[in-house]
Amino acid sequence: MPKKRTAVSRREFIRDAALLSGGLAAVGLPGSVRGQTAGARPKLGAQLIGKLEGPELILDPAKWPKKFSEAPMLADLVKQGKLPPVEQRIPKEPLVIKPVHEIGRYGGTWRRGFTGPGDAENGNRIVSADKLLFWEYTGTQHRPSVARQWLLADDGKSVTLYLRKGHKWSDGKPFTADDFVFWYEDVYLNKDITPTPHPDFMINGKSGVVKKVDETTVIFEFPEPNYLFLDILAGSTAMGGGQALWQMQGRAMGAYMPAHYVKQFHPKYIGLDAANAKAKAANFDGWLAYIRNRWDWRLNPELPVLTPWKVVTPINNPTWVMDRNPFFYEVDTAGNQLPYIDRIQMTLAENLEVLNLRAIAGQYDLQERHTAMTKLPVFLENRDKVGYDVRLDPALNGSDATLQINHAYDADSEVAKWLQTADFRRALSMGIDRDQLNETFWLGIGVPGSVAPSETTPYSPGPEWRKKWSTLDVKQANALLDKIGLTKKDSEGYRLRLDGKGRLRIELLTAAGSFVPHTQIAEMIQQQWKKIGIQADVKEVERSLFETRMRSNEQQISIWANDGTELLYLFPRHGLPVDPAEAKMGHPIADWYASGGKQGKAPKDPELLKALELFRTANGKKLPERIKIAHEIFRMMIDGQYSIGTVGQSPATMGVRIASRKMGNMASRQINAQHCRTPGTSQPSTYYFKA
Amino acid sequence: MVTYLVQRLILALLTVWAISVLAFVIIQLPPGDYITSYIAQMSASGGAVSEQEAEALRQEYGLDQPMLVQYLRWMKQVVQGRFGMALEWRRPVSEVIGDRLWLTMVVSIAAILLTWLLALPIGIYSAVRQYSPGDYLATFVGFIGLAVPSFMLALVLMYLGFRYFDMSIGGLFSDEFADAPWSLAKVWDLAKHLPLPALILGLAGTAQLIRIMRANLLDELRKPYVMTARARGVPERRVILKYPVRVALNPFASTIGYLLPYVVSGSIIVSLVLSLPTVGPLLLKALVAQDMFLAGTIVLLLGLLTVVGTFLSDLLLLWIDPRIRMEGKR
Repeated sequence: MPKKRTAVSRREFIRDAALLSGGLAAVGLPGSVRGQTAGARPKLGAQLIGKLEGPELILDPAKWPKKFSEAPMLADLVKQGKLPPVEQRIPKEPLVIKPVHEIGRYGGTWRRGFTGPGDAENGNRIVSADKLLFWEYTGTQHRPSVARQWLLADDGKSVTLYLRKGHKWSDGKPFTADDFVFWYEDVYLNKDITPTPHPDFMINGKSGVVKKVDETTVIFEFPEPNYLFLDILAGSTAMGGGQALWQMQGRAMGAYMPAHYVKQFHPKYIGLDAANAKAKAANFDGWLAYIRNRWDWRLNPELPVLTPWKVVTPINNPTWVMDRNPFFYEVDTAGNQLPYIDRIQMTLAENLEVLNLRAIAGQYDLQERHTAMTKLPVFLENRDKVGYDVRLDPALNGSDATLQINHAYDADSEVAKWLQTADFRRALSMGIDRDQLNETFWLGIGVPGSVAPSETTPYSPGPEWRKKWSTLDVKQANALLDKIGLTKKDSEGYRLRLDGKGRLRIELLTAAGSFVPHTQIAEMIQQQWKKIGIQADVKEVERSLFETRMRSNEQQISIWANDGTELLYLFPRHGLPVDPAEAKMGHPIADWYASGGKQGKAPKDPELLKALELFRTANGKKLPERIKIAHEIFRMMIDGQYSIGTVGQSPATMGVRIASRKMGNMASRQINAQHCRTPGTSQPSTYYFKA
Repeated sequence: MVTYLVQRLILALLTVWAISVLAFVIIQLPPGDYITSYIAQMSASGGAVSEQEAEALRQEYGLDQPMLVQYLRWMKQVVQGRFGMALEWRRPVSEVIGDRLWLTMVVSIAAILLTWLLALPIGIYSAVRQYSPGDYLATFVGFIGLAVPSFMLALVLMYLGFRYFDMSIGGLFSDEFADAPWSLAKVWDLAKHLPLPALILGLAGTAQLIRIMRANLLDELRKPYVMTARARGVPERRVILKYPVRVALNPFASTIGYLLPYVVSGSIIVSLVLSLPTVGPLLLKALVAQDMFLAGTIVLLLGLLTVVGTFLSDLLLLWIDPRIRMEGKR
C-alpha cells in the first residue's frame, strides 16, 4: 500500500534521535506538552474533545424506507440463489437508523489490533447490537435494539418485550420467543450449567421467570416490584448484555439463545450419552465443556447470532476475523441493510507498545482500545503524515484511580482501626495533590475531585460534592491526624503507631498492566503523603493475584478505576461493597450483603451500613426515587471518604480514538461508558470507508 | 562406546522425566490457579464469577484434584501427543504451539547464522591483528552491542523503521498473510520481515562471541605448534585456519547444548517487543494466566531440547577435538 511520505527534515531527525536516546517511554511526555497545560492557553485535550453526537433511530414507521438494498457481495449471493432477497432477510419491522453524518457506502475491511484470546471485549463491544435494549447516544435514555418495544408494568412486577416480526438468526432461521424460553428452561434452570441464579435476574433474593406470550412477545416476571429491570435490560448486565458478551468464556446468561442450534448439543434433547459422545468426538472432556464452546461466538463460526458481523476466524488465531451477517436487522434511512463494512480483521499484537506503534503507523483504521493517553503527543505528531484523526472521549465516572479502602480489613488491628476512621480517610484524601496527578498522568485533561460521577449524569449529587474533602489541604489534613491521636512522629517525620510497633505504614495495592498507570500514580501519592507524615508502601502485583488478595481480604487500600459508578445500580461494585465477584471495599461485607446477612460480616460503620440498606431498597423503587437514593448514597460515600477519588472523567480508559480519515460517520465525540458498550451506541454498523 | 551411548540415553530419559515433574510443580507454586486468572479476566469485561461457579469450573477443568492426579492426566495426553488443552486458548496445546514452533526456529536459526557469520571472522581478525585500529573498533562496537539491552534496541529500530523506512511494525507477516496457507508469496513476505528480528536477536550474541573467539584464539596463537607451522613455511592463512581456529572453536561446540533450547524459546522479551508470533510470548502469557498445560509443555520442550543438545555437543566435541577422542578410547 503506497503511502505519501514527506521528507524528514534534519531537525526532526535530531529531535527524534534525542527522544529515542531516552527510550520510547520518554516520548510519552515531552516537555513541550506539559508546558501547554499551564496558564490560560487551551489545554491540549480540550481541542480534541468534540461535540457529543451520534446516530438517531427512526421509530415512526411512516418515515421508514419502502425499498431495501444490500451490499454487492450479498447481491451476488442472492443472484446465485444462495441467499434469499434482502426484503426476506431483514425483519418486517427493522431498526431504522439515521447515521450520524451521512448515508455510507458498502465495502472495505476494518483493520484493528487485539492482544490475544483474553481480549474478547475488543470484539464484544463492536457487535453489541445484539443487546435486548440499549441507550441513546447520550447514554441516558432507553432505546430499542433487538427488542423493538417494551412495557414496564405499573406495579413493577413485569417487563414485556416486543420482538421484531420476521427477525432471523444469521443462518436464516426465525428468532422468536421460543429462543428466550429455551434459554430460561434449559440453560438458566439447568443446575449443571447454571449452579446459582444470577443477581441480575433476581429481586431481594428471589429469581424472576421468563414466559412466552406469543411468537414475538416475551414477559419477564418477578414476585416483587423490580422497576430497575428496564435499566438492567438496557445495561451491560447478565440479562440485557446480549448473546455475544454473556455466552462467551463459559458464561451462560444473556436471556436468549439460538435454540434450534444449541439443542443438538444439549443432553435434554439428545440424551446424556449422545451429548458426551459428541463432546469426546470433538476432543472435549464432556458435554458441558463442549456446549459452552459451541455457544461462544468468538470460537464457533457456525453459531447463529444477531450481531452485525459474525466470526469467520476465531479469536484463538493470529488474526480474529468477522464477516457481515446477511440477516442483520438494521437498515439506514435510505433502506440500505447495515453494516456498511464487509469485514473486521484484528491482528494479534503481543504487546501494547507494538499495538500503539502500529496505530501511529496507520496500520489500523479505527482503534480506541489499548491506545494509551500517555502516547498522545506521538499520535498527534504523526496524524497528518499518516492520515488519521485523534479524538478523545472522556468517561463519566469520577475517578480513574480510586483509593478503594477495605472496610473489612482485620489482619492488622491498628491499621484496620485507622482505615475505619472517617477523619483518617479524610486526611489521606486531603493529602493528595490531584492537580499534580492530573498534569502528570492525565496530561491535564482529567477532572480532579471526589468519586462523584460527572455532573451531566442523573445520579450526580451536585457540583459541590466534587471538591468535598477532595482538594489538597496539608494543614487541615495534619490537624485531623493530630486530632485523632496520631501525634507522635519518628525522626523522618512519619507518624508512629499507637501500639508502639513503629511507623504507621499503609499498603497501596495496585495491579500490573491496567489501562491507567496505577502503580506510578500510587508512587506519586506516596511522595505527597510525606507532607502529612503518612508512610505508604506501594505494592504492585499481577492482575489475578490482585483479585485473589481481594477475595482473601488481605488488602488495605487498593487502587482501581471506579468505572461504572455513573450508573450506580447497574454496576455498583466499584462504588459499594455489594458484589462478592469484585469487592475492593471489603469482601466479607459484600458476602454479607449478597447473602442477605447469612454469610460474611456486616460493616461496623453505621453510615456505610445505612448506605447499603438504602441501596438494597432501590431496585424496587421508581426512577425519581432511585435518583434521590443515589444522590444520598454518593453524599454519604463522599462525606465519609469510603473510597478516595483522585482524577476522572478522562479518556484514559478506551477514550483515545485513532480513526483513519477514510472512515466515515465518526462522531466527533462519543459517550465512553461500559453501559453504552462504547463504541456500541455509536453504531459501528454505520461506519464506512469514504471513496 | 555403545554402552556409553546407552547409558547417556537412559540418563537423558530420566532427566526429561524429572524436568516434566519439576515444570509441573513449579508452575503450580504461585498462589491461585487458572480459574483465578480467569476470574480477573471476567471482571475486566464487567462479568462476575461466584464462588459456586468458580468451584464448578475447577471441577470441569479437573483443577480441584490433587496435583498428582492432574500430572498423570497431563502425562497421559503428552504420551498421546496432544499435550492437554491450552486453557486460555481453548485449543489443544499441540495446535497452539504448532506453527509458532517452526517460526521460532526460523527466526532463531537466522539469528544464530547471522551471529556466526559476523562474529567468527571479526573474532579471528581482531585476534590476529591484536591492538590494531580494526581490533579496537570491533571491540568498541562489540561492547556497545553487549551493553545495549536488546529490547531497547528493538523498540528504537522499530520506531526508526516506521519513521524513515516505512516498514511495517513488528510481527513476521503482513496482515494479509498472517492466517494464509503457506505459499511462495508468504515465504517471501516472511523473508522481508526476518532481517530486523534476526539482527536484533543476533547482535547481543555477536559481541559476546567476538570476545570469546578473540580470547581463545589469542591463547592458541602463542602456542609453539603455531610457530612450528610457520617455520615449516605453511601459508599464513592456512596456519591460522587449519589449527588454532579449530581448537578455538572448542567452546562453541560445547555450548551447542544451550543453543537448541534457545532456538525454540528465542529471546522472550525481544519477541514480545517485536510482537513475533513465536513461542516466547506464548510462554510468558501462559505463565501469567497459570495455564499449566501450555506452560508445562513449553518448559518440557525446552528441557528436552537442552538434553538433546547436550548429547549432540558431546558427540561434536568427540569429532572436533582428537584429545577427547583419545581419552574415550582409553
